[in-house]
Amino acid sequence: MEIYNLLSSDISAIFITLKLALITCFFLAIIGTPLAYYLAFESKRSKSFLEAIVTLPLVLPPTVIGFYLIVFFSPDTSLGKFFIMLTGEQLIFSFYGLVLASIIYSLPFWVQPLQSSFEKIGKDTIRTAYTLGASPLDTFKNIIIPLSKRGFLTSFIISFAHTMGEFGIVLMVGGGIHGKTKVIAISIYDHVEQLSFGKAHFLAAGMLILSFIILLSLFYSNRTRVVGIK
Amino acid sequence: MTDLYARVEGKVGNITFNFEHSFKSKGITVLYGPNGAGKSTIISAIAGFSKNLKTTITYKNVDFESTNKVPAYKRPFGTMFQNPILFEHLKIKDNLEFAEKRKKFSINSEKIIPKKELIDHLDLVPLLERYPEDLSGGEKLRVVLARTILTKPAYLFLDEPMSEIDIRYKAKLLIFLKMINRKYKIPILYITHSLEEISQIADELILINKGKKIDYGILPEILNNKSFQSLIGKFESSSVLEGTVIASNDLLNITTLDINGQKLIIPGNPASEGNNIRVRIRSRDILVSPIKLTSPVVENELEGLILKVEKENNTAFTEVVIALVDSKTNELAQKIRARVTTYNYQKLNLNENSRVFVYISSVSIDRQAYQSN
Repeated sequence: MEIYNLLSSDISAIFITLKLALITCFFLAIIGTPLAYYLAFESKRSKSFLEAIVTLPLVLPPTVIGFYLIVFFSPDTSLGKFFIMLTGEQLIFSFYGLVLASIIYSLPFWVQPLQSSFEKIGKDTIRTAYTLGASPLDTFKNIIIPLSKRGFLTSFIISFAHTMGEFGIVLMVGGGIHGKTKVIAISIYDHVEQLSFGKAHFLAAGMLILSFIILLSLFYSNRTRVVGIK
Repeated sequence: MTDLYARVEGKVGNITFNFEHSFKSKGITVLYGPNGAGKSTIISAIAGFSKNLKTTITYKNVDFESTNKVPAYKRPFGTMFQNPILFEHLKIKDNLEFAEKRKKFSINSEKIIPKKELIDHLDLVPLLERYPEDLSGGEKLRVVLARTILTKPAYLFLDEPMSEIDIRYKAKLLIFLKMINRKYKIPILYITHSLEEISQIADELILINKGKKIDYGILPEILNNKSFQSLIGKFESSSVLEGTVIASNDLLNITTLDINGQKLIIPGNPASEGNNIRVRIRSRDILVSPIKLTSPVVENELEGLILKVEKENNTAFTEVVIALVDSKTNELAQKIRARVTTYNYQKLNLNENSRVFVYISSVSIDRQAYQSN
C-alpha cells in the first residue's frame, strides 16, 4: 500500500517533469529560433546587448534568477495581475509560472547551439537562395532548417535535459507543490530530506540513466554522417 | 537600348564609391579593374545586397531602391558570386530544380534556354544524382552556372566565374557563355582579371578603379586607351584583332585570317572558313619597321600607319598605336599597339603618320587567346 502511494507521487513528478520540458522546448523553438537567427546574421553592434541578456542565465546563480522571477511573477506586478485576469490563478507557484521560468533559464541552451549552426551556414548561402528567387521565409524553410538539422537536435536535447534537471529556480518559483509543480529534482530532494534513500535512488538512477542516454545519442548522432550534410 | 541603370555611392572599407552606368541590354560587358576596385560590391548592389551604400538601381523605369525597395529575391537578375555556393543538403538535380521552380523572370520565351540543352552543354548529366560535397571545384562551378541561368534572368551577373576552371574547359565555357548571350539574347555582366577572358568574350569594357568608372567603351578601343594600359601594367599591354578565317591547313596546323584584307597566320585550327576569330597580340611581341623587309623571318607582315606615339618617362620604352591599312579600300582599319625601345624608335626615325610594316611571329600568338565569334 505504502509503495503504491509513493510510486504514484513519483510518477506524477516524472509526468510533470516531462510535460514541463516538452512544453518549454516547444516555446523555445518559437522564441529562441528567430532570436538565434537574428544573433547569427545581424552585424549591428546593438546585438551584443541582446546576446548578453540571452546568455545571462548561464552565469547567474539560480537563486538570483529565482529571486527576480518571484518578484516579477508576484500578483502585484502587471504580469501577475494579467495572469490572474486570464486564468483566475496566480502565476507564482503555478505550472505555467514554471513554464515561463524554464523558458527564461533554458533560453541560452536553445539559442547558442542553433546560433552557431546558423553561423556555419553563412550569409552567402542565404544570399544565394535570394538570388535564385527564394523569399526569406522560403529560404528559412527549405535551406536553413534542413541545413541546421543537427543544430536543432542539439538545441532540443540540451534544452530538454537542462529543463528537466533545474532545481533551485523551480523550487523558488514553483514551490514544489505535489501534483502541480513538484518535479523529479524536487522529489529527490524531499526523499533525501526524509532520509528515504531507497526512493531517492529510484528517481536519481532514472535521471542518471536518462541523461546519459540523451548525451550518448547526441554525441553518437554527431559522429554519423547525415546524408547531404557535412 | 538600355534597361538597367545603376548608381552606387558611399563608402565601404576604404573605397569611396562613385559609380554610374547605363548597361546595354545586349552583348557581354566586362567589369575590369584591379583587386579591391569594388567590382564585386557593384554587382552585389545591383543584385540587391548593398549595405551602407547609397544606390539607385533602375530597371525598365522601375526604381528598385525607392521607398518601395525591391528585395533581392524579386529582382530579375541571375547572380553568380565569386565564391559559388551549392545547397549541401540537396542533390545536384534538386539544386537545379530549386532555381527552376522559383524565378520566372523572363517573359520573353526566346530568352529561355531549355534545361536539357543547359545540362548537355555543361556536361552535368553524370553529376545530377550526386551531392555537392562529392563535386570538384570546377564541377560545382558548372552546376552553379546552370542553376543561375535556370532562373531565366533578364541579366546575368558573373563574378569571376572561371577562377576554378582548368584552361581546356575554360575555352569551352567561354564559348558556351557567348552562345547563350548571342542565341538567347541574355545580356551578361562579367567580372574578370584575365586578359585572355576579356579578349575572348568582351564586347564592351567598363574600367573601374577605387570605386569609380574610369573608362568605358567597346573592346578594341578600350584596349588601346591609356586608361586601360595604366591599369594592366606595361608588361601585359596588348591589342585584339578580329579577322575571318580564309584558309585552314590541317597538315601544318595553321589557320589564315583575313584582317581587313591583310593576312595573319595563327597556330591551330580553332574555326572553319568563314568564321570570325579574335586574336590577342602582346605589344612587346610586335616588331615595327619603316621599310618593308626583303626577307621577313616571321610569318606575318601587316601594313599600317602610326596614329599615336606615347613616350614613357623614366623607361626605355615608347608605345605606338598603329592603324592597319585596309588593302582594298586603303582606309585605316583596326588598331594595334606596339612596344618599342625609344632608342630604336629614334634610330628608325619613326613619327606620327609614318607608314610602317608590322611583323608578328605566329609563335607569340596565344592559343587560348582566340575564339570564334
